[in-house]
Amino acid sequence: MSSSLTLAPAPSSQAAEEVRAQVREFLAAELAAGSFSTHVDTWLSGVDPAFSRKLGERGWLGMTWPREYGGHERTAMERYAVTEELLAAGAPVAAHWIADRQSGPNLLRYGTETQRKEILPRIAAGECYFVIGMSEPDSGSDLASIRTRAVRNGDGDFVVNGAKVWTSNAHHSHYAIVLVRTGPPGEGPRGKHQGLTQLLVDLSLPGITINPIRILDGGHHFNEVVFDDAVVPGDMLLGEEGAGWHQVTAELAFERSGPERFLSTYPLLAEFGRRVADSGDAAQLATLGRLSSRLLALRQLSLRIAAALDRGELPDIPAALVKDVGTTFEADVAEEVRKVVEVPVSLDSPDPLGRALAEAQLHAPGYTLRGGTNEILRGIVARGLGLR
Amino acid sequence: MASDQDLVVETVRDVLAGHEPFALTADTAWDAGLWADLADAGLTGVGLPEEAGGSGGELADAVAVVRTLASGAGAVPVAEQLLVAGPAVLAAGLDLPDPAEPLTLAVAGAVTAAPSDDGDGPGRWTLTGTATDVAWAGVARSVAVLAAAPAGIEGAVLALVDARGLATSDARNLAGEPRGSLVLAGAPASGALLTAEQAGVVRARYALARAVQLGAALEQVLAWTVQYAGERQQFGRPIGKFQSVQMQLAQMAGEVTAVSALVDAAVHVLERDEDVVLAAAAAKVRAGAAVEVVARLAHQVHGAIGFTQEYRLHHLTRRLWSWRDEAGSELTWSKVLGAGLLSRGGDELWPALTRVV
Repeated sequence: MSSSLTLAPAPSSQAAEEVRAQVREFLAAELAAGSFSTHVDTWLSGVDPAFSRKLGERGWLGMTWPREYGGHERTAMERYAVTEELLAAGAPVAAHWIADRQSGPNLLRYGTETQRKEILPRIAAGECYFVIGMSEPDSGSDLASIRTRAVRNGDGDFVVNGAKVWTSNAHHSHYAIVLVRTGPPGEGPRGKHQGLTQLLVDLSLPGITINPIRILDGGHHFNEVVFDDAVVPGDMLLGEEGAGWHQVTAELAFERSGPERFLSTYPLLAEFGRRVADSGDAAQLATLGRLSSRLLALRQLSLRIAAALDRGELPDIPAALVKDVGTTFEADVAEEVRKVVEVPVSLDSPDPLGRALAEAQLHAPGYTLRGGTNEILRGIVARGLGLR
Repeated sequence: MASDQDLVVETVRDVLAGHEPFALTADTAWDAGLWADLADAGLTGVGLPEEAGGSGGELADAVAVVRTLASGAGAVPVAEQLLVAGPAVLAAGLDLPDPAEPLTLAVAGAVTAAPSDDGDGPGRWTLTGTATDVAWAGVARSVAVLAAAPAGIEGAVLALVDARGLATSDARNLAGEPRGSLVLAGAPASGALLTAEQAGVVRARYALARAVQLGAALEQVLAWTVQYAGERQQFGRPIGKFQSVQMQLAQMAGEVTAVSALVDAAVHVLERDEDVVLAAAAAKVRAGAAVEVVARLAHQVHGAIGFTQEYRLHHLTRRLWSWRDEAGSELTWSKVLGAGLLSRGGDELWPALTRVV
C-alpha cells in the first residue's frame, strides 16, 4: 500500500500505561464525588473550567511541551493515554480541549518567544482557552475562500473585519487564532492559498462581538465571532505573514488525528455495555463485538499517529484517514445500538441508555463535519493514494 | 527492521512468479507445483523450529510468507500449516509431520476421540465422526483434528491423523479452494488432551490466520484498483481523476488501513505470547467487515472487466468473500469478543478494551 498512508506500529509504552492508571483513578474519584456526570461528546459540550484546572494541576495539559513553557516534556503516547481516558469517561474537557490539542502546539511551532512565554503556561495550567477561527459563513471546508481580512494601519497593527462561525466555546475562551486574508491571492490553482495569515486575537478586544449559534439539542457551544474594525496589535501576528495556509495545514494534523475523532460517543457504548452485560442477549453481544472491533482498529491507527508525532513527523494524510473512518464510526455507534435495544430515546429519559442515544443522535451531524467534511478528508486520502 | 522478512517476501515472490498463480479450476484443487517449489525453498516450514523439522525463523517470518501468498492468491495450505496446525501440533507435544507434506486442520463438525491401545504406546487415539469445512481436504497429507474428548473428560483432543485413504467430499469455497468433509471411521491418531482454553487458542489462531490473509488480500485489491483507476481512461481522462471515484478509493483505503493496523496488533499479541483470543476475534471481525466495502467498491471501480474470469480481480475478491466466513464468521467472533469484553462486568468495558491489543 502507499507508504503515505501507512505508519509504523506504535511501540508499547510503560509510561503511558502508568499515567493511564493515574487518570483512571482520578476520574473514578471525581465521579464518586459527583464533580461531573458522564455525557456524550463532552469535548465539545462539557465546559468546566474548575475541572480543566484540576487537570492542569496534575500535569495532564501541555504534556508534551517544553518545561520552560509550563509543559511536562512527556511523550505523545502518554498524552494519548490521558486524552483517551478523559473521553472514555465522558469528562467535561471542552474548556481547554482546543487550546491543549492544537493552539498550544501551533504557538510552539510558530509563536514568538513573548507569545509562548505569555500564553503556554496558562494553557498548561488549565486557565487559558482557545477557539479556532478558520471557518466562515460562506467558506466551510474551502478555507482558501475566506473573506475576513486584516489591513495594517499606520501603527503596524492589524485592523480586522469579517466573521468566523462554528467557533466552539468562543464565549468561554480567551483567544482565537484567526485565519485572515492580508494579501491578494496569487495566480494558478493554488493561488488562493497565498496571502493568508494567522493572527492571535484576544477576544476581549473592542470591535469583537460573540453571538451564540445553538445546535440541535439547544446547547450553546458554537458562536459567530464578528470583527468590526477590531484592532489586533502587530505583535500578535502568528508565524509569518502570508504563510497562513501552510500553518493551518500543519495545525489540522493535530486537529484530526486524536481519539476524540472516534470516542465522542464512547459513553453511549459504555452504557450499552452495561445493558448487554445484564441481558446477555446474543444480538446485542454481537453488536457490541462488531463496534468494539472497529474501535480497536481506530485506536491502533490513532496510536500510530501519536507515535509518528513523537518521531517529529506531521502525518497529515493518515490523520485525515483516521478522522474519516473514526467519525463515521462514532455516528454508527448510535445507529447500531438502537437496532438492538428497545428503549425510549429522549434527553429526559429516566433510562441512561435512552439519554445517551438522544445526546448521540442530536450531536451526530457534527461528527463528520467538524475539522473538515469526510468528502474533503477523502480528497486528501486520494492524494495520498497518488490520484491527485 | 524487517530485513529478514523482506528476504522471505522476496523469495516467496520469486517462487510465485514462476507459476500461473490463479490456476484453480474444476479439475485442480490446488497448485501442487507451487507447493513443491515452496517446499524446496524451505518456505513451508518457516516459523517452525528446526529441531522439530521446520525451517526456523520467527512468527513474523511465517506471517510474511502467508501474507505474500495471500496477495498472490497462491492456492496452497500455507496459512493452515505455518500459523495454525503446525504450531498446534508442536504445542500439544506431538511430532511435526514433514513440512514438505501439506498439513491442515479440522475444527468443525462432530468428531470424538477415544483412547486407543493399538500397541503404539501412550498418546494414541481413535477418531470417529465427520469433520466439516476442512480447508484443503483431499489435498493435505495429514490433518490436525480438534476432537471432542471422551465423555467424562474435560477439554478436547488435538489429534494428528494421516489423511491418505480417508473418505473426503469435494466441496469448494467461493474461490474454488477445497473445503470438504473428512469421514473418520475409527481412524488411528496420535494426540494430546487440551484444556478448553487451549482448544480456544487453536480456534483463535485459525481466525487470526484468516484475518492475516484477508488483510493482505484487501491491501492487494486496493493496490490493483488504484492502479486500474490510474490507467483506465473514460471521457478523455483516467477515471481516478474523477472525484466520485477518488471518494470510493479513499473509502477503500480507510477500511484497508484500519484492518492492517488491527491485524498487525493482533499478530504482535501472539508474538508476545499473550492471550490472543480477543485480539484474534477483533481482527477477524474487523477484516471480515471490510470485505463488503472493499470488494464492492473494487468491482464498481473496475467496471465490467472485473466481473470476468479472464481478469485477475476475482481471484482475490472471491477469496475475500470466502475467507470472511471461514474459521468463524463475523457473527461468531463478534459474540466471542463482546462476551470477552464484558467478562469482568458491564462497568469494566473500557479497561477491557484497552487490554485487547
